[in-house]
Amino acid sequence: MIEIERLTKRYGNSTVVDGVTMRVEEGSIAVVVGTSGAGKSTLLRMINRLIEPTSGRVLIDGQDTMSVPEDELRHRIGYVIQGYGLFPHRTVAENIATVPRLLGWNRKRIADRVEELLDLYQLDPAEFANKYPHELSGGQQQRVGVARALAARPALLLMDEPFGALDPVIRAKAQDDLLAIQRRLGTTIVLVTHDMEEAFHLGDRIAVMDQARLLQYAPPAELLTRPAEAFVERLVGSAERPFRLLSLSTVRDATEPGPASGEPIEASANLREALSRLVWCGRDALPVAGADGAVMGRVSIDGILRFGRPSR
Amino acid sequence: MASSRKGFRLDRLGGVIAVLIGLALFAAPFATYRANRIVSGEPRMLLDALPPGLASGVLAAALAVAVMAATLRAAPVRLAAAGLGFAAVAPAMGMAALFLTPEGNTFARVSPAFGFWLLMLAFGLLVADSLTRLRLGPWGRLAALGVAAAFVALLLLSGAWSGLSIIKEYAARSDSFWREAGQHLLLALGSLSAALLVGLPTGLLCHRLPRLRSGTLQVLNVVQTVPSIALFGILMVPLGYLAATVPLAAALGIRGIGAAPALVALFLYSLLPIVANTVVGLGQVPAAVVEAARGMGLSPRQRLLQVELPLALPVILAGVRIVLVQNLGLATVAALIGGGGFGTFVFQGIGQTAIDLVLLGAIPTVALAFAAAVVLDAAIELANGTSHD
Repeated sequence: MIEIERLTKRYGNSTVVDGVTMRVEEGSIAVVVGTSGAGKSTLLRMINRLIEPTSGRVLIDGQDTMSVPEDELRHRIGYVIQGYGLFPHRTVAENIATVPRLLGWNRKRIADRVEELLDLYQLDPAEFANKYPHELSGGQQQRVGVARALAARPALLLMDEPFGALDPVIRAKAQDDLLAIQRRLGTTIVLVTHDMEEAFHLGDRIAVMDQARLLQYAPPAELLTRPAEAFVERLVGSAERPFRLLSLSTVRDATEPGPASGEPIEASANLREALSRLVWCGRDALPVAGADGAVMGRVSIDGILRFGRPSR
Repeated sequence: MASSRKGFRLDRLGGVIAVLIGLALFAAPFATYRANRIVSGEPRMLLDALPPGLASGVLAAALAVAVMAATLRAAPVRLAAAGLGFAAVAPAMGMAALFLTPEGNTFARVSPAFGFWLLMLAFGLLVADSLTRLRLGPWGRLAALGVAAAFVALLLLSGAWSGLSIIKEYAARSDSFWREAGQHLLLALGSLSAALLVGLPTGLLCHRLPRLRSGTLQVLNVVQTVPSIALFGILMVPLGYLAATVPLAAALGIRGIGAAPALVALFLYSLLPIVANTVVGLGQVPAAVVEAARGMGLSPRQRLLQVELPLALPVILAGVRIVLVQNLGLATVAALIGGGGFGTFVFQGIGQTAIDLVLLGAIPTVALAFAAAVVLDAAIELANGTSHD
């Protein structure tokens, strides 16, 4: 668990982060959004002390980060940045081994861990371990960047625009991969982005920052239905609101009894996808299939639309 | 000359090389004969410089090289042709010396003349051209340098050239030759080492503290513009004073003349390339890489040694190359202030109007600088191989 308490950073007269307080639960993803210059990156970089706070403090599992030597602190916190910063003179395997080597793991343990991570990221060790970063595609570099950050099994992962350099198709895949791996490892993640779509897709809670202040820190649905300030409402986009809300619920939530014809839709799909399917195929309802493929009911346009309004 | 014929095209550079070979064989003297080492010489054409059978053999070989250079385009064949040229002409020079020197005459001197040098130039061009076309990697180029060095060593050690005037000059002063060679290397490498010891930290400091950068580089730039002889002269005064007032300095061999001012001057010349290239090399390390290194908890020292210096290495090595080639040449001038080195022979030779003695100092200097350039270019490429983005 991360507790950020009245964290402030000033440079001379300008305040970059102003008294931010927030809490990130164990194993959850907190996404920090805001316009550029809002102080998101500074907030993130104060967590691993790349920037020293002017005042306030950060507790990780109850321990003040100031009580740990900074290099030691950073060995325990994964860090992924836009552009990844892979070491160009080191192979993929050597890049991933960076923190384990700093921690003095033995050779065998490092090799095993590197192989495990490459497998986890669907990069064939035989093919990729000895490649250099410039031989990889953007998506592969991104995966190596995350694998490197996770190498020493950090309980906390900080990510600053980790998907910013990827094209939309690869970005969506990378986001899904991150979610899957996060669910599997239970890593706590703080992620900075200016992409609202990404924030709603990934965040268990979303922190909205503007002009150095934290305006609202809440689950995605609450941000949509009860925005704390006009800026939050503008940022989440009034026109997009119903659809964003729909994307937060699954077909399972809206499944009703009764028959329907057509190709069944999976219960795990979100309602925005379901609505889109219904509009496209011109039907009022579709059957819903469970994970085992058995039809468990139906989902209808009316049933879906109820989830797109705050007053349900 | 016909520019093209049916079936093959004339190679342009090969054509030039063929013309050079033709000029060298038929319009320029192959050797120079002198009754003693300081009188002016009489030219000898190739056909007069060797026994008739041998002369026609060398002529035929050189002409064959000319034809191959002009008509054949495959790089390995051209390289082999150049090799044939060197193998035929270089030992022939030694034979010419034995043939032209009258029996029992120890004063007569035979030296290579314009035609011989022109042939070497033509074959050298052919080698350079074919090596470029072969796109040799760094190890290949080092191997080529090794083969060339072995070829020259073989000619020297086998005694094939022992009749040549320059080798006779060497034989008369072989002790001092190796002493001056050691001194020359000491001047060039010693000043380089000192410049690395001082320049790398200075470059690092300038990289970390941008305020220092422009001032430091400007001062070093000014030093670089002082002519070498003038710098030697300027250094004599403070070093002489130091030697006179500090007994320890004198005990260490520091004096107003000799190796000390030469070393100091070469060291000062070396600083700018080392410092400037260190600053540039460190500056081009991508910011994201440094940020990631910090974020993963590499200490400042680990960042420097494991990330920044390895990535800056190719640029720093380029600075070392500049310094080494420059110092190997400049060290020659040190002889003027009693600093020793190959320059000793050059200036003695000039004083005695003995051109062979000048060459005894000049040729090893050029060869050393050339070898240093090839070795460091290969090192830069090897360092680059694993660090480009």
